[in-house]
Amino acid sequence: MVVPLNTWILISNFKLAYNMLRRPDGTFNRHLAEFLDRKVPANANPVDGVFSFDVVIDRGTSLLSRIYRPASADGGVPSIADLEKPVGSDIVPVIIFFHGGSFAHSSANSAIYDTLCRRLVGNCNAVVVSVNYRRAPEDRYPCAYIDGWAALKWVNSRPWLQSPKDSKVHIYLAGDSSGGNIAHNVALRAVESGIEVLGNVLLNPMFGGETRTESEKRLDGKYFVTLQDRDWYWRAFLPEGEDRDHPACNPFGPKGISLEGVKFPRSLVAVAGLDLVQDWQLAYAEGLKRAGLEVNLLYLEKATIGFYLLPNNDHFYTVMDEISNFVSSNLCSVLLLGFLVLPFLSAASGNLSKGAFETASDWEMCEMIAAGVFYALHCQISVKGGAILR
Amino acid sequence: MVIKRDREREKGESSASMAATAAKGKVWEEEQPDTGMDELLAVLGYKVRTSDMPDVAQKLEQLEMAMGTTMEDGITHLGSDTVHYNPSDLSGWVQSMLSELNTASPSSNFDAISNQTAGSFSTTMLDFSNAKQLGDQCKIYSDDSEYDLRAIPGGAIYRSDKESDRGSGIKRMKSSLLEPEFDDSLTVATAAAAESARPVVLVDSQEAGVRLVHTLMACAEAVQQENLKLADALVKHVGLLAVSQAGAMRKVATYFAEALARRIYKIYPQDSLETYSDILQMHFYETCPYLKFAHFTANQGILEAFAGANRVHVIDFSLKQGMQWPALMQALALRPGGPPAFRLTGIGPPQPDNTDALQQVGWKLAQLAVTIGVEFEFHGFVANSLADLDASMLEIRPSEVEAVAVNSVFELHRLLARPGAIEKVLTSIKAMNPKIVTFAEQEANHNGAHFLDRFNEALHYYSTMFDSLESSGLTQPNGQDLVMSEVYLGRQICNVVACEGTDRVERHETLTQWRTRMDSAGFDPVHLGSNAFKQASMLLALFAGGDGYRVVENDGCLMLGWHTCPLIATSAWQLAAGDS
Repeated sequence: MVVPLNTWILISNFKLAYNMLRRPDGTFNRHLAEFLDRKVPANANPVDGVFSFDVVIDRGTSLLSRIYRPASADGGVPSIADLEKPVGSDIVPVIIFFHGGSFAHSSANSAIYDTLCRRLVGNCNAVVVSVNYRRAPEDRYPCAYIDGWAALKWVNSRPWLQSPKDSKVHIYLAGDSSGGNIAHNVALRAVESGIEVLGNVLLNPMFGGETRTESEKRLDGKYFVTLQDRDWYWRAFLPEGEDRDHPACNPFGPKGISLEGVKFPRSLVAVAGLDLVQDWQLAYAEGLKRAGLEVNLLYLEKATIGFYLLPNNDHFYTVMDEISNFVSSNLCSVLLLGFLVLPFLSAASGNLSKGAFETASDWEMCEMIAAGVFYALHCQISVKGGAILR
Repeated sequence: MVIKRDREREKGESSASMAATAAKGKVWEEEQPDTGMDELLAVLGYKVRTSDMPDVAQKLEQLEMAMGTTMEDGITHLGSDTVHYNPSDLSGWVQSMLSELNTASPSSNFDAISNQTAGSFSTTMLDFSNAKQLGDQCKIYSDDSEYDLRAIPGGAIYRSDKESDRGSGIKRMKSSLLEPEFDDSLTVATAAAAESARPVVLVDSQEAGVRLVHTLMACAEAVQQENLKLADALVKHVGLLAVSQAGAMRKVATYFAEALARRIYKIYPQDSLETYSDILQMHFYETCPYLKFAHFTANQGILEAFAGANRVHVIDFSLKQGMQWPALMQALALRPGGPPAFRLTGIGPPQPDNTDALQQVGWKLAQLAVTIGVEFEFHGFVANSLADLDASMLEIRPSEVEAVAVNSVFELHRLLARPGAIEKVLTSIKAMNPKIVTFAEQEANHNGAHFLDRFNEALHYYSTMFDSLESSGLTQPNGQDLVMSEVYLGRQICNVVACEGTDRVERHETLTQWRTRMDSAGFDPVHLGSNAFKQASMLLALFAGGDGYRVVENDGCLMLGWHTCPLIATSAWQLAAGDS
């Protein structure tokens, strides 16, 4: 077993439950899904330095978001009037988080995501806004994106979320699985509309395409996820009659658009090495790179889906560190090490397989090549070896 | 957990074999002691003992293999035909599904029931429409067709037979029996954290609204500090601010301000709280789904508990207009094999005008019983307090002869105003030897020791309540039902804020607090399952009219809330194993 026992139980439990909820005819057993999902209420009393409250952002669609904030230093209990008190420090990142669930499962108040968002607050000293977007198959594309966009506009227009330093809201978009996909698409809309997004954080983002990639064939059914279930979710989310090359699924595919010249935010993309859709995720990162955009790719070789749900593995801590640096980083560029260097090295040495940097000399070679590729003069290079050396 | 017709447990499973099937492959060292729950999973809502984990993992694997052989159709039947209970108890849930898959064609039983029922249901529908022709007397029951219970395919609640529990060895199906073996500190911490959780849902975060809330709280604080001059100034200021507000916020603020004023000037409500309370509650019943939800979910539990009994007796601690019972009676009428004889004992307070309200309700229900063909008997008991009753007054018949259910909707919390009252009533309930006890209560802590805490809790609770009334679209703004419902809630607000001692009867407590109390008093939980959940959700969609209502499952109980804020909780109980 490559994961801790409790992780295995957690993810297997989801897998089992989700299998029961997906019907072959494309419908979804929503009542049972809501019954089984473990939810937690918001809590305006600080717990471990974080308190939360829910806000109905749009009465018409009952769009709700859960806001998580760092408790004040004295740990005092915020009164109702304090909930939307202006943020304190000079610069406070506001992370708009889209939970995962392949567009069909989970909610902002699902325990797994409530827990994750709380960790993000503590880790990044940020305000986190978790969006309870509408789900498939009841609400297909583009409902989730519309809700994400509504949340972005709402966040951007809150005076109490403006950082005192420049009276602007410092917005980051983040999400895992389908949430990562939503983050990408909301960022696209933001760019078109002139709202500034400082960065995207995509954890195991959900992308796909008509072709069957090598990783999909190799890992189908091996680590909790099957191609069959991936296909089901895309059929449930995409407009009827569309295939997986629809740009919502395959943003850099045959029907995709180039982002060249587009002022798209910089991205942190975490890819789990045991996730069967990794080829699509890597292709996504490559697509951003091709357009000249900044991408920090974290390839976590031994990680499975959901590794970030429990703090019982190194990948979890690596990713948390990366996210923390990402939202506080003023660096103009973060080194894209593994992604660019790997094919170079493979060609050069023929011996090194993806992620198999075992010795110090391998690592030195990496650095040399990297230095040659990037203009280290203008950019501070930060090497996060741990992630890629796994 | 999944209902099983056959309560065979997997023999040969024991904690010894759990240790033997130890962690497969590499496992990270868990820091918590072996007897405790896995803390990481607990945070995510799953209660699994660390020592059970290898066994749970093995069962999950077995289920996976079963899935592999039966294609997706095979596993989705577990979603549609079977009933699930208490998903937090992962071990029990997984075990149930395994047993479900191992038993041959379990779904055929349920199909048979629903087929039979469908036939007899159509016949009874005709009878019911006759009842409507009876005219005005039956008008108050016109809602019930919308939530006919029919026969519930599959069980609504998880029944335990005491026999099988006795012999089942180390592992138990009912998660409640796991509770004493949990790591105590974690249970306590969880309970404490849950108790002190403050779920907040903001709907309109306008500047003026915030100032209003701030002023109200400042006023409450002044009252707590007995700075009555300041409190007086602030309460007047609230009045001014409230005028500029719209909708729910204005109304809530007005009620709270009035309650604060009463407290400051020591003008307590002159009218008996019982005046018109029944009528007000009826309007509340019409306006929003909270009462309907309570009735519906309690009835699910009662119906299931009464399965197989030829004579049944419901003791209703909160008869009011008897709105809960037509639906149950109708469902009993539809039972395959015919309805049991139905006896109802209704308890209510003395009426100020000395009318016998209870008998009037009894008579109406008797008329309904005639039209649907149910043998019916009614007794009414007038009591100032439930604590004035005891079981001997109620002519309890032996349990082999008659199954008893005790039901209470929004009544038990009143007993907390007098020391010893709740304990006395719980003891009486036990003496009634009920098959099931169902109760619904407001999900709030309005009984804390400090006035200011109570005030803040209540402010938030009733703001959410009023908002749901406002938004649910069912009522026209200021329609009579809406106004009356607000008055109904306003009285509760007044009681929570302005009264003290035995006058303060709206002493709402949370489900967690009630659980502790019931557990200490010798009751075990009866879990409401996915079937009750689904039907409650469908009920809401049907006529709640508002998108914001949500049903949530919580350790075998069901809660109804507005958006993510739970407001009402229904739970079901039975006498603890070993008690009788």
